[in-house]
Amino acid sequence: MAIVERPARAVLDPSVLRGDQPLYSGTKIPEPVPSILQLPEDLRDSDDVMQVNFGPNHPSTHGVLRLVVDLLGEEIVGLRAVIGYLHTGFEKNMEHKTWWKAITYPERIDYVSFQNNELVFVLAIEKLLGLEPPPKATWMRMLLCELNRIHSHLIYLGTSALEIGAISMFWYAFRERDMILDLSELVTGARMHTRYFQAGGLAEDVPRGFYPECRKFCDWMPKAVDDYESLIDRNAIWLERTRGIGVLSAEDAIALGQSGPVIRGSGIDWDLRKRQPYLAYDEVDFDVPVYTHGDVYDRYRVRMEEMRQSTRVVAQCLDRLEDMEGEPWIADDRKVVLPPREELHTSMESLIHHFKLVTEGYRVPAGEVYVTIESPRGELGCYLVSDGGPRPWRVKFRAPSFVATPAAATLCRGALVADLIAIVGSLNTVMGEVDR
Amino acid sequence: MDWDGVPGLLETKEDRGETTLVVETATLVEACEHLRDEHGFNFLSDITATDYLGWPTTTSRVAGYYGTAAGRDVNAPGSAGLARLPGDRPKRFSVNYHLLALVEGAPRLRIQVWVDDGEPVPSVVGVWPTADWHEREAWDMLGIPVEGHPNLVRILMEDDWEGHPLRKDYPLGGEPVRFSEEE
Amino acid sequence: MAIRERKKRTRLRDFGLQSERLLWPTKGPGVFEQEIGVDQLEQRLMLTTVEKAVRWSQANSIWPDTFGLACCAIEMMSIVSSRYDIARFGAEVFRSSPRQADLLIVSGRVSHKMAAPLRQIYDQMLEPKWVIAMGACASSAGMFNNYAVLQGVDKIVPVDIYVPGCPPRPEMLIEGIVRLQERIKGGVPPAYEVRGVAS
Repeated sequence: MAIVERPARAVLDPSVLRGDQPLYSGTKIPEPVPSILQLPEDLRDSDDVMQVNFGPNHPSTHGVLRLVVDLLGEEIVGLRAVIGYLHTGFEKNMEHKTWWKAITYPERIDYVSFQNNELVFVLAIEKLLGLEPPPKATWMRMLLCELNRIHSHLIYLGTSALEIGAISMFWYAFRERDMILDLSELVTGARMHTRYFQAGGLAEDVPRGFYPECRKFCDWMPKAVDDYESLIDRNAIWLERTRGIGVLSAEDAIALGQSGPVIRGSGIDWDLRKRQPYLAYDEVDFDVPVYTHGDVYDRYRVRMEEMRQSTRVVAQCLDRLEDMEGEPWIADDRKVVLPPREELHTSMESLIHHFKLVTEGYRVPAGEVYVTIESPRGELGCYLVSDGGPRPWRVKFRAPSFVATPAAATLCRGALVADLIAIVGSLNTVMGEVDR
Repeated sequence: MDWDGVPGLLETKEDRGETTLVVETATLVEACEHLRDEHGFNFLSDITATDYLGWPTTTSRVAGYYGTAAGRDVNAPGSAGLARLPGDRPKRFSVNYHLLALVEGAPRLRIQVWVDDGEPVPSVVGVWPTADWHEREAWDMLGIPVEGHPNLVRILMEDDWEGHPLRKDYPLGGEPVRFSEEE
Repeated sequence: MAIRERKKRTRLRDFGLQSERLLWPTKGPGVFEQEIGVDQLEQRLMLTTVEKAVRWSQANSIWPDTFGLACCAIEMMSIVSSRYDIARFGAEVFRSSPRQADLLIVSGRVSHKMAAPLRQIYDQMLEPKWVIAMGACASSAGMFNNYAVLQGVDKIVPVDIYVPGCPPRPEMLIEGIVRLQERIKGGVPPAYEVRGVAS
């Protein structure tokens, strides 16, 4: 199927481009609806076209995504994504909870990289409050979010390899994933959905014994990534199934709002941890992998490299945290943060503050903020409006998967059915994020 | 940054390090094209619509009452509970477009338009194709019709759902929690 | 076969099965025993050798259906992984087609839009079939008491085992599956028969 010759939509700054651009001339984004690949005119009444429903329940592990696909033999000539099967009403529910209680909700939105969701919400609250967390909290948050990034990429690796047919990758990847969840349980008490971040810092101090365990993990992880690469990186079947599949040029990626490993696989050097450093990312040393072919294989390579780089960041965070033993883990602002329990026995003000914070909750000054971080899927944003009261007025999460799912229509142009699985896997969408 | 060239610009707000441009609804698409072509904001991050029904304003507050959002502000020492209110909103809904320029420094911008119930907003799908699903969500969740959108149907709720769930006059729903002592 | 006179047996351990009642010998009949009716336990349970063998094989090769929805699905995937290996309990493969599956583990929040596909999947499964509601969201909608989420999956499918947690640890889900296996081996019929609803 010929690529429609239309001028590229987005104008790119050369300072963020790598490699020889563009990957194809013009744009592949379908018209008139960018998210629906429509049947061409000559096939509208054809008997050879079969409409198949890759329904909400399907063997691939992507959760409840429904793709209505028009097939001409094995080739995809029409594609439409239907979402909403996991719509949970997070945003409305959070409007009815106090700020403190609302922090449990964002974790479950992107349930694979849960710490990043918590982080973006807590950063947004802190921006509205104007509250600065102590360094220990910042570094610990960074450590947990990078561990979460490795966790998310491991799940991506296990599940997308499983779908393409490399079934044993699943068990290798989940072995390390369980190690990460063990670390998470050591610190926070829960494997997933830890609810460890508070407005102002962390909920509790880092327990003793965590740093040596995390150090052991950091020493082990690069060998594990070597294991994964030895399994599939040079495998002829893997290369056949992923090389040259689902090519996305840089201009199309920007026009479609892609971020994270998807644009880094298409040759754009854009990582919010480097370009717009939050937490303490400007104080650690790590590289951002950028590959230039824009296909499924390059996105896979980006995520593999990111696992290695995240391990480097975790090791550096450990170095800093080990020197911060005994420092405060949460800010001192008693209007927002609970006082330490010992004080409740002696200080009347602490008791009153504790009471007001637990029953009514703290109040966040009125205003609106939009905070973005680099989640494993791309740019995760939280738009928060406060009316000055104890509850959020409006919370909106800009989910990278919500933006990536309609891109499947562009990527699957001219692809075969088997490629569809590889392409949707490479976008690494999590339906909890898409539907919220 | 100099925002004078933006067509239909009504107001510029700077708060907590973020810039918000309030533009007229009618010239929204021209403003977006201007920002994309002249200022380099080639990445549309998010479109968020907010419903301000029930927003505490100067006429609706009860002075000094603790229980409401417009009540005492304990964070202000020495204010003796005099309420400081967030200010009036021009219309019921605001639609915010969060833009980003993929250049060094990652400049961000928010474009804001204000609409009433039922008043349509022009579609920016022609400017940034990623706006497609965001605008559908604004229509589905808040009932803001988007003019010129090629496929304005419900996206998150079922196709025959009535009502727009994220509006403030739409109930949270769910069922009342039963406790065993009541039975 | 006529039911002979025998000593009154009211608890699972009287049938030679592991049960929490072993820990609390003075505790009365459990919930499902009460549901079936303590005095009817003997009549409702099948005790012939062939039936025992059938039940044993059903319990020990219970194949779940891939119905992972949300966060609980990730924990469900981890029971397939090598650390919390579910294959040693007989749930060797997760079948994607409901026609080939015995057990529906509803893992994750069920929105109203998803309720119809869920019921359709349940209907497509062949008897005997069991349902585990994994997690707080499947049991009772968890923290999502709102317009979008079905308040408990037992509103549309009959549930055998509820596994609480948000998300439940893999060991908790395995305990749920093991309890289900005990129920099956004990002869307790699947939930649609116990509750008398359509299957």
